[in-house]
Amino acid sequence: MSVTEAKSYPAPRPSKLTLFMRSFLPWQFVRFLVINLRMTVMIKKSHGRNIGPETPDNR
Amino acid sequence: MRVVILGAGISGHTAALLLRRKLSKKHEVIVVSPNSLWNWIPSNIWVGVGNMKPADVTFDLPSVYKRARIEFHQAKAIEIYPEGLGDAAHPYVLVESTKESDRGQKTEIKYDYLINATGPRLNFGATPGLGPDGFTHSVCTVDHAYSTALELDKLIEEMKTGQKKTLVVGTGHGLCTCEGAAFEYIFNLEFELRQKGVRDNARLVFLTNEAELGDFGVGGLQLKSGGFVTPSKVFAESLFVEREVNWITGAHVHKIEKNRLEYETLDGERDTLDFDFAMLLPPFTGVPLKAFNKIGEDISNQLFNASGFMKVDADYTVKTYEQWAPEDWPKTYQTAYKNIFAIGIAFAPPHQISKPRKSKNGTMIAPAPPRTGMPSAIMGRIVANSIADMINGVSENPTHAASMTEIGAACVASAGANAIVGGAVSMTMYPIVPDFKTYPNVGRSLVHTTGEIGTAGHWIKKLLHYAFIYKAKALPFWWIIPE
Ligand SMILES: Cc1cc2nc3c(=O)[nH]c(=O)nc-3n(C[C@H](O)[C@H](O)[C@H](O)COP(=O)(O)OP(=O)(O)OC[C@H]3O[C@@H](n4cnc5c(N)ncnc54)[C@H](O)[C@@H]3O)c2cc1C
Repeated sequence: MSVTEAKSYPAPRPSKLTLFMRSFLPWQFVRFLVINLRMTVMIKKSHGRNIGPETPDNR
Repeated sequence: MRVVILGAGISGHTAALLLRRKLSKKHEVIVVSPNSLWNWIPSNIWVGVGNMKPADVTFDLPSVYKRARIEFHQAKAIEIYPEGLGDAAHPYVLVESTKESDRGQKTEIKYDYLINATGPRLNFGATPGLGPDGFTHSVCTVDHAYSTALELDKLIEEMKTGQKKTLVVGTGHGLCTCEGAAFEYIFNLEFELRQKGVRDNARLVFLTNEAELGDFGVGGLQLKSGGFVTPSKVFAESLFVEREVNWITGAHVHKIEKNRLEYETLDGERDTLDFDFAMLLPPFTGVPLKAFNKIGEDISNQLFNASGFMKVDADYTVKTYEQWAPEDWPKTYQTAYKNIFAIGIAFAPPHQISKPRKSKNGTMIAPAPPRTGMPSAIMGRIVANSIADMINGVSENPTHAASMTEIGAACVASAGANAIVGGAVSMTMYPIVPDFKTYPNVGRSLVHTTGEIGTAGHWIKKLLHYAFIYKAKALPFWWIIPE
């Protein structure tokens, strides 16, 4: 496969509103809080588990 | 007791600091690493486009270890003797100094517990002409990134005189991993070229071994958005189209010459691409480490797989893609030797995450599984916890587990470094290795697998840069900052 030319490729393009919102600072501040929250949840879910001493699982 | 940690990267450094915090002073924590500078690798992307200087992403490691009461050897490990040698057997590791004053001097360091966190060897040799000694640039180390930025500067000056240039970014071999880093680099490059007013003179091409954009070596993601469950391919293609970055997917690079590379794609076609500037990542192997038993026999193939990664508690039975199961992935990162662990990029994954493919000519074009910063640091944490418990007599076996099928990752892929008009793709995925039994059809939680583009992502990326460097410097209350 040769180079796919982005200019003529039929991918969904963001609307003007979407582009505007991506750098509209008040909205981005809200997103900042939301993304931080999501990442905190991810961190909480991902800290591994204590399998305790001597379980059959821990080798 | 003495714990020796090989490697002071994201996983090894995390383990070292936590072990020092958890173990009483009568126990020793020793780190062996060839470089005296600690490098926050994710920000090398910004060094590589001239947005940051090497000093912004590195700091002096020995002074931090001195303060933290961790013994540091600036050296590279070359041989492991898990049973010792001869009769007076105590396990040890042979290291070779990389310090200017006694370069090449070999020392035996005894250990009770060993953590291999040596990360990747950058295997530029896999493709003729690949890498800084050949005809392409890299951002894998801070030195590589800095020289890439200098070359880019020259190119931008030429573009300012009206010259048209082709810039290629991506993977330099069919078996590469870390596609996310190449993705970040091309969008930062695109952004910088726009900022410098030369974007119209640049043709950008992303060349990747991923079968489709948005695969990232994890088989892509399914995201809930606008009432649909949409594959990351659609979002990725949308971004490439919006920023006018062209692409070649499913590619293996055969060879690179000055300003020209030859590649093959999954459909078996071979083609060439002319370029003026290329930043192509190398494939990774394990670092060259050998292991010997107590009578001096080479047992490296018992401890390491063919690519030099250390075998841990994974299921390494050869299986087809359809037979892969979450249970194949390691949980505790303990090796066949109970006192040796391998974490981060150094452990041998049981198989890829993304479906491996071959071209029509039989060439393997299969992204290797990424082991990014967050899981690497989590492995460092759980192995430190297990070893501390084993030393403190809580258990004879590891007490903590974190399989990549049970942990998630938060990734922020920068797409332009500017606090007002820049942006990044902020992603979370859970779990990293898809589990199609628990999450039928999509493999991952649709609640916890998310992604969006915006300036907020850049703020987070910048915040993480400062937070992780603060943490790595072990400054007051560093342990509050999560991995
Ligand atoms: C350009 C780039 C951008 C990236 N961006 C991101 C990102 O945005 N987010 C993310 O999560 N991940 C990112 N990653 C991936 C991330 O950097 C790795 O996942 C992480 O560094 C792996 O940690 P590690 O400890 O296994 O290896 P490393 O961090 O590479 O550490 C390995 C250590 O071992 C040392 N060593 C090597 N050989 C020896 C030896 N023989 N003896 C002793 N020590 C040795 C090395 O000097 C080093 O200190 C990026 C990677 C690259 C290359």
